[in-house]
Amino acid sequence: MQLNVNGVSRAVSSPPLTSLLEVLREELAVLSPKHGCEQGGCGACTVLVDGEPRRSCLLPLAAVGDARITTVEGLGAPGDLAPVQSAFHDRYAAQCGYCTSGMLLAAHALIERKGGPVDRDEVLDALSGHVCRCTGYVKIVEAVMAASRGQVGAEPIEQPLAPEPSQPEIEIAGSPA
Amino acid sequence: MARHSGRGFATIEYPTGMNQNGDPSQAWIKLKPDGRVDVFAGTVDIGQGSKTVHTQIVADTLGVPYDWVTMDNSNSDSSGVCTGTFASRGTFIGGNAVRFAAERVRERILDIASKELEIDAGDLEIADGEVVAKGAPDRRISVADVAGAATYNYGELISGQGTALKPFAEISDEDGSVQVEPHSAVSYAACVADVEVDDETGEVTVTRLVQVYDVGRAINPTLVEGQIEGGAMMGLGLALLEQAYPHYPSAEHRGAEFGTYLAPALEDLPELDNVILENPSTDGPFGAKAIGEMANNAQPAAIAAAIHDAVGAWVTEYPATPERVLRAIQAKAEPRREGKRVIFDEEISLSAVSSNGGAGFLEV
Ligand code: FES
Ligand code: FES
Repeated sequence: MQLNVNGVSRAVSSPPLTSLLEVLREELAVLSPKHGCEQGGCGACTVLVDGEPRRSCLLPLAAVGDARITTVEGLGAPGDLAPVQSAFHDRYAAQCGYCTSGMLLAAHALIERKGGPVDRDEVLDALSGHVCRCTGYVKIVEAVMAASRGQVGAEPIEQPLAPEPSQPEIEIAGSPA
Repeated sequence: MARHSGRGFATIEYPTGMNQNGDPSQAWIKLKPDGRVDVFAGTVDIGQGSKTVHTQIVADTLGVPYDWVTMDNSNSDSSGVCTGTFASRGTFIGGNAVRFAAERVRERILDIASKELEIDAGDLEIADGEVVAKGAPDRRISVADVAGAATYNYGELISGQGTALKPFAEISDEDGSVQVEPHSAVSYAACVADVEVDDETGEVTVTRLVQVYDVGRAINPTLVEGQIEGGAMMGLGLALLEQAYPHYPSAEHRGAEFGTYLAPALEDLPELDNVILENPSTDGPFGAKAIGEMANNAQPAAIAAAIHDAVGAWVTEYPATPERVLRAIQAKAEPRREGKRVIFDEEISLSAVSSNGGAGFLEV
């Protein structure tokens, strides 16, 4: 059958129940989607299927049909990055990078869907099924918010990042302003 | 059922690397004929940014722009020995290795520049890729020209090697006592945790972590922040979610499949306030100490203390799962006095004796 990957029609011959992840990585050598848990729990294998984030480890080839598959390779290219890719780069939102492809695609879909600034809760909601072991998520959330505002560089985002503290302020004596 | 809030804190100190002796990192550096710099070192970069930090250290030690320096840590065959990326040793030990190597390269650059300019090497300094005579800025030669002269006129490959190695301990023949040089790079950190504990489900939510890290010198503050934020979530995981027993090298704690080992997810992300303190070490690169592994050490203790502050019960085993929290609360509610079983539960007991929940009756 033919598979539409990043705007290019590619011939594939894997058996119909092979996971899309397997087909992309092993047959087509598209390596940005990552094998994590292979049971839908980590988000590392996420790709866009007709613009919607899907876990490619759980998606059999037969179910893809002629849908458009987008991976990070189709999101942008060096020198012509998608806003979410630039924001991840500018804000150091990737450390080991294993979760990054999935995060980028889910975030890209969120930004496309919203068409304007997304707030913290929306990011948390859209990325909640994606596990990151390195970054503590902080810079990822900030990068997605910045990308949705078309903000480049690493300047603070013009909106409080976190809800107001419910607890009394802790004074840190002599801390840098 | 009620949610109780509590606050706890913990402090730690962290000696960088294997702090007794040995534990080498090696590096070597060569200068290309056009002045660009190749660094070969084994420090593994798993995303924490050691490559960036090592490159900065070399560029600043040599006095050349960051872009001129390329670090190759791609294989352990061409690079020197580095015992690894662990124990927060990358910047202090690996960074010292590249610094020592760069200092030797700098000496060779100055020596050849001194011949070219006919000025004593001690009267020269390097900045922005130019060797300049102190006090006479028009007497100068670029590092690129020095490298070219070394290659084509003097027949020298400008290079330098460096090894960071802890001095060995001295063991006394008489009484077997061991003398170890006190560690030169002890980092310090403090963490304050705010939690909410549900006394019906035993569930603990960390709402906020305030963390202060003394890293000696933050060579790259953004990368330091990345370590602190990542470490915060790892510490939170160890406190509440991750069953890490039996310890490494046993792999049993991981369970049979992905979902049986819980790592913190986005929903667990508390508000984070991070402060970086600079309290330079005497012999780290540019005063740097440590930040990697130490970044997840303080949170579990701070969170356990916060749980105690919230419900008055100590959870004595990590992770503080809902079951353990409930058992701890229960154990506290059933003190035994002189063989008699006496139950005191703040809510039940107070509402039993007072129509207003005990307001003004008892302060606990
Ligand atoms: S590999 Fe698909 S969700 Fe983990
Ligand atoms: S950057 Fe390593 S898992 Fe997210």
